[in-house]
Amino acid sequence: MYDLIIIGGGPAGISAGIYAARKKIKFLLITESFGGQSVVASEIQNWVGIKSISGFELAKKMEEHFMVQPGIEVEEGSLAEKIEKISSGFSAEGGPAVGWKVHLKNGKSFETKTILAVAGGRRRRLGVIGEKKFEGKGVAYCSTCDAPMFAKKTAAIVGGGNAALGAVKDLSAYADKVYLIVRSENIKGDQALFEEIKKDKKVEILLNSEVIEVFGSLTGEFVGGVKYLDKKDGTSKELKLDGVFVEIGSVPNSEFLGDLVKKNKYNEVVVDHGSQKTSCESIWAAGDITDLPYRQIIISASDGIKALLSIKEYLNGGK
Amino acid sequence: MHTDKKIKIYSTPTCFYCVKVKEFFAKNNIKYEEVNVATDMKGREEMVKKSHQLGVPVIEIGHEVIVGFDRVAIEEVLGMK
Repeated sequence: MYDLIIIGGGPAGISAGIYAARKKIKFLLITESFGGQSVVASEIQNWVGIKSISGFELAKKMEEHFMVQPGIEVEEGSLAEKIEKISSGFSAEGGPAVGWKVHLKNGKSFETKTILAVAGGRRRRLGVIGEKKFEGKGVAYCSTCDAPMFAKKTAAIVGGGNAALGAVKDLSAYADKVYLIVRSENIKGDQALFEEIKKDKKVEILLNSEVIEVFGSLTGEFVGGVKYLDKKDGTSKELKLDGVFVEIGSVPNSEFLGDLVKKNKYNEVVVDHGSQKTSCESIWAAGDITDLPYRQIIISASDGIKALLSIKEYLNGGK
Repeated sequence: MHTDKKIKIYSTPTCFYCVKVKEFFAKNNIKYEEVNVATDMKGREEMVKKSHQLGVPVIEIGHEVIVGFDRVAIEEVLGMK
């Protein structure tokens, strides 16, 4: 039986893993792959200590940093499916000796005294007519992957955070015309990045605009454009497009926790933001799976460490 | 592992999942041909025609076409499981 199983290999899982290894906790890290959601970011300029780095390079550096720690155990290539309560024979403060059996999608299972859930999130969909139908046929979710396919074409990016602003830059390198469609009046991403984009002659910014439909081209096989609501005058308008890149944040990968922990209406795991404790004793969570207000790589990494330090205290019997 | 099936990976240089697919094949000692659809226009047309979509990576194994780094599908087509 492990003292700790870390579920997830993004910034929160990796930082917690490095601390766990250095504290010689007997732990296992389970992840489908390392790096988390930012692996697809073309450029990260706000990781302290590094002026500019691609998401892929940063993820690789994090993974390498973790992998050189002595005595670590990793189960890579599969996801956690569900967690079952078992008896662990270990109790921190004289309470019930609860432990957990983590079942993976590949059929394996592992037992542990404590769990750190850092499984992150997956892309949020727009949820409008045509989005699913044209996924891969012009509707895209990875600008570093698919931007070259829109060379000399017209594309729109939907969203207002740093991921959306980064995607505008990725597309502008290839496309003839790029629209940024933002639902609110303000940009959530960094002003520095926004100003850079505003100077780009290829880019047109539509604030207060909400996409309501993705429609097809004449042949019907690929994207032809979007319909959006211009909230300034309340009218519905159309844009002719070849591609629509959706960058509107993430939804938490919290399904595997079932009803064991308290979640909010967005399915985010509710945690105490000092200790990262969930509502269930011996389960902690950190990063984008939780109800944290700000989604940043550096915040996920530090929340992972907060969780680990709290777990260490618990394993020491509350000291 | 050895396979008689011809393998082609349609990719772009900045695509993380493309790198992961290539790593997967390299780790299993499986040879593949790479088509960079960011610059190879003929290759791009071929990819769209075969996969009926615009996203990378596209992995062609024999006559099977897999869109995205779908490890389970790749292992199935190659009979690795």
